Amino acid sequence: MKALGSSGWKGPVKFRMPTAENLVPIRLDIQSEGQRYKDAFTWNPSDPDNEVVVFAKRTVKDLKLPSAFITQIAQSIQSQLSDFRAYEGQDMYTGEKIIPIKLDLRVNHTLIKDQFLWDLNNFESDPEEFARTLCKDLGVEDPEVGPAVAFAIREQLYEIATQSVASAKESRLSKKSRRGSDHGSASKASGLSMDLVKLFSFKSSVVRKRKDLDVYEPVVDLLTSEEVDALEAREERHAR
Amino acid sequence: MAAKASDSGGSGEILPITPSLSETTSGVTAASQSTQPPSSTSDVDAVCVPSYSRWFSWTGIDDCEVRSLPEFFNSKSSSKNPKFYMYLRNSIIKQYRDDHPRKISFTDVRRTLVSDVVSIRRVFDFLEYWGLINHSSSSSAKPLKWDEKSAGDASSEPPTTVKETAKRICNGCKSICSVACFVCDKYELTLCARCYVRGNYRVGINSTEFKRVELSEESKKVWSEKETLQLMEAVMHYGDDWKKVATHVTGRTEKDCVSQFVKLPFGEQFVKESDSEDSLEAFDQIKGSADLESGGSDKEGSSPNKRMRLTPLADASNPIMAQAAFLSALAGTKVAEAAARAAVTALSDVDYEAEKNASGDPNRQEANGGEITNSKRAWADAKSLIQKEEQEVEGAIKEIVEVEMKKIRDRIVHFEKLDLEMERSRKQLEDMKNLLFTDQLNIFFHTRKARKSEDRVDVQT
Repeated sequence: MKALGSSGWKGPVKFRMPTAENLVPIRLDIQSEGQRYKDAFTWNPSDPDNEVVVFAKRTVKDLKLPSAFITQIAQSIQSQLSDFRAYEGQDMYTGEKIIPIKLDLRVNHTLIKDQFLWDLNNFESDPEEFARTLCKDLGVEDPEVGPAVAFAIREQLYEIATQSVASAKESRLSKKSRRGSDHGSASKASGLSMDLVKLFSFKSSVVRKRKDLDVYEPVVDLLTSEEVDALEAREERHAR
Repeated sequence: MAAKASDSGGSGEILPITPSLSETTSGVTAASQSTQPPSSTSDVDAVCVPSYSRWFSWTGIDDCEVRSLPEFFNSKSSSKNPKFYMYLRNSIIKQYRDDHPRKISFTDVRRTLVSDVVSIRRVFDFLEYWGLINHSSSSSAKPLKWDEKSAGDASSEPPTTVKETAKRICNGCKSICSVACFVCDKYELTLCARCYVRGNYRVGINSTEFKRVELSEESKKVWSEKETLQLMEAVMHYGDDWKKVATHVTGRTEKDCVSQFVKLPFGEQFVKESDSEDSLEAFDQIKGSADLESGGSDKEGSSPNKRMRLTPLADASNPIMAQAAFLSALAGTKVAEAAARAAVTALSDVDYEAEKNASGDPNRQEANGGEITNSKRAWADAKSLIQKEEQEVEGAIKEIVEVEMKKIRDRIVHFEKLDLEMERSRKQLEDMKNLLFTDQLNIFFHTRKARKSEDRVDVQT
């Protein structure tokens, strides 16, 4: 076990999703001809680009959407993919980052609230596996919850990864003269991450504080149809 | 969910709904035993699985799945493993059967599976293609091909195979291959040279698994009369020199000429005799160059020819020899000769040293006995290797001869049969001639009688 204090800084890593599978979360929200199509799924950026159109056609056919959606869907996917690819060449500093991931989503009749810690440095992590296990353990019957959970985790990881790229750039620009240990502090400075050293030092214990227990416990709620309708109406109002 | 568990156990209730099903035969019922059923109750409307998909089982993975979806089985990524594939596959099929006979769409499925959507799509297309989902018994459904690649990959038995007839279409860039092709038999892929070089093939395949296939004009399969004639002439003239034969036969490579020649029917056997003599000659040459190791340039030079002649045995022969022959063919005879000579001289130098030391002092022979025996042992080993090689080759030639003999014997039997037939028909002919003759005689006598009686009548009146 290396001494945690001194290894606060790791060298820059090429940008990628900090998970075993380098999958991109794609969100679609397209409105056209009076119809609205919202969707969210994960995409493997190493698949050939013709898959995008194939997928768009397939989806439009399956959901019986007007064919104008095909190009819009394809374009949206492509632009998100190219955003991702734009990040790919650049460096990101991951440091010793353990971040809390929050789940607060509603899928059909199921409501999930949860929070847990995720090690950003573990490039073998698998949100899909986590989502599957979560649903199995909590006895979630609706099969659409799993993908939504995985997607939510991925989205948050993606956001943090892009932030770390941005911060890496900033720190490089601003602190050209001073290098070395400052990079470590830069990564810690992104307020979300927790300091491992503080967490596992002698003074504090590993056991979670009682006040945090509720926060970190998963909550699954099954809503009735009326509640669902009420929530949806509220969301629509917020959106406008 | 619990209520539907009984169906999901699915041995694929393979009870044909209507007898008019062309795909499900009695062989399909065997499949229900081969799969693993937790006790399944037969539903009112049973699920049909076409007979070419009877390999499917809930807990196992069949070879065609590995072939068609190699991305899950090449251990390149830790999460894309067979277990994950089974999760995807079983969930999709379960979902389909839960709602049978409603057809399940890709979007339904991908919304419920935790994975990246393109992997789901591939598994979905694969299952649909093999009729494990969305298989309608009424229409002999030609499955929708959303991706030509899946049609090219799922080979062997599926209902509508895109037969690559004369043209070879590259699986990578979907263009027509003209010059040279790279074929991977394991996954039934064809790539044009550009895609192969660029590495534009599926994730799981190694570049070494491709074989180069030359496509000159794609008139490979059928040899025209003219070409056969040319081949015959060329072989008569040039005998063993396949290079010249190939140049004489327009548009065919050496390999083609050799393989076609071997395939030629009986009448050409007599030409072959002289050639087999040649091959034995070449063989003697090899024996003669009984140096150490893979020895003489003769061997190297003639071994490509020898190899081509003995193409049927190419797999059985010594793999090192095959490689050496292949390399020497690649490098060209001159280079191979030079290399072999250098190797031989190096080895003989070693031998010479050892012998010099040994012969220098007869008194120290015991002391040098070790050295001598070492080099001698090496030499003996090499010799025995050569002998083994020779024996193998002899055995191979024997086999060929036997096969040819069998061919001749079969032909003789055939001719004898024909002979018998001839005899029979000749006899028939004889009989008929006799009949005809007797008929003619009868008529003649009758007419004579008639005339005689006529005359008598005339005389009387």
